[in-house]
Amino acid sequence: MTNGLVLALIGAALAALLAGIGSAKGVSLVGEAASGVVSVDPSKFSKVLLLELLPGTQGLYGLIAAMFILIRTNVLSGNAAELTVQQGLGFLAASLPIAIVGLISGIMQGRTAAAGVSITAKKPDHNGKAIIMAAMVETYAILALLISVLMILNIGV
Amino acid sequence: MNGTKYANAVGAVRVMENTLLSKNDIEQLINSKGRAERESIIASKSGSSSGETLVSVWEMLHEYAPDCKELEILLYRNDFHNLKAVLKAVISNREPSQYYISPSNAELSVLVDAISRKDYSLLPEYMQKAAEEAYELVTNTLDGQLSDSLIDKASMEAMQKSSAEFGGEFMQKYSQLITACADIKTAYRCSLLNKSAQFMENAICGSSDLDKEQLVKAALGGTESLFAFLEITPYSNGAAFLKESAAQYEKWCDDVIMELAETARMQAFGSEPLAAYFIAKEAEIKNLRILSVCKEFGADKETITERMRKLYV
Repeated sequence: MTNGLVLALIGAALAALLAGIGSAKGVSLVGEAASGVVSVDPSKFSKVLLLELLPGTQGLYGLIAAMFILIRTNVLSGNAAELTVQQGLGFLAASLPIAIVGLISGIMQGRTAAAGVSITAKKPDHNGKAIIMAAMVETYAILALLISVLMILNIGV
Repeated sequence: MNGTKYANAVGAVRVMENTLLSKNDIEQLINSKGRAERESIIASKSGSSSGETLVSVWEMLHEYAPDCKELEILLYRNDFHNLKAVLKAVISNREPSQYYISPSNAELSVLVDAISRKDYSLLPEYMQKAAEEAYELVTNTLDGQLSDSLIDKASMEAMQKSSAEFGGEFMQKYSQLITACADIKTAYRCSLLNKSAQFMENAICGSSDLDKEQLVKAALGGTESLFAFLEITPYSNGAAFLKESAAQYEKWCDDVIMELAETARMQAFGSEPLAAYFIAKEAEIKNLRILSVCKEFGADKETITERMRKLYV
């Protein structure tokens, strides 16, 4: 295994790890708020569940970026590419947008969605507004994923 | 993730806020014909009865946020009231339970044990010194009023100290308002009864926006001098109500506390929405009690409406 491949794998790990941590933190916060609501009014479960799912997407984006790196470096096929340090650094750099933005946006989206749970609790008819506000945070995770994927796909191997 | 504490408790409280009585509900209650109709209006709104107590509200909040020390400050006044009751009951060999207010942080049996055995370490730390001093004072002087004023002052000092130590801005403001409202009332009564400067010094606590020395000085000059001083403080509105009647002033005090509670309505996390819900329930229960008494004595709608406290929703 070359140093370049190690760097690329570190990139894949960071994408899955940091974005996953962001999602876990976000989902757990919304889950706490949602559990409070459901413990008093179980009929609101489906409405708060939608909000709880939103911060979970960053983890998926991290996974997608990590999978792209593993595919591009042929790790999945069992015939790993001999990467130079420059190529490895390229993959590592490519993983950073979704890793860092995934971490931060997952946590922040969790906060927004947890606050939205209060809207659902008090005014269930306005649940859609809470979802829209939380979904706005998603934009930046999607942009980061886009950049990461474009970079990963265009690194010459 | 600072500032996201009690997300679970806040979620639950937001649902429960839907069961608080609204302005329309209160109007319906005022227009109701009898007790049965009132009970049915309350039950249709909250599924509970007018007999719902703050104890159940406190237990629920404590269940959702068991580690929230900040909320305990809300019960300090009850703790110190109970201390007064137990002190007098123990000294005069009476049963203290009928004077005991719930919910409280210090249980009745603990208070009785601590006072009768003079083991003040059994009490919460914020009560120990006041309990010892009040016991000494009342046994040496047999002056219940002096020990009462010592305990009342200690209660406000404890609220301010604890809220400064581990409370947020909301609880600090709450302690400040409670202290100021009580200090103004004490200063007014002392002024009417021509109490000495020494008595006032011992009874008035003072807070950051209501200077103790100036308040005592103004009260010593009579009620007019007191009102003139209050005019230049943030409590000038309260002074105007106090001029009218003690009942109107009491209502004003409850309303300013509710205005503070309303600031927590927009907060998604933290202990503030929990404290605000407790304050809202306290006001609701008080409103129902006033309404029930007024109805019993045949008071007209205007009189009842006038006495109703501000609502959270």
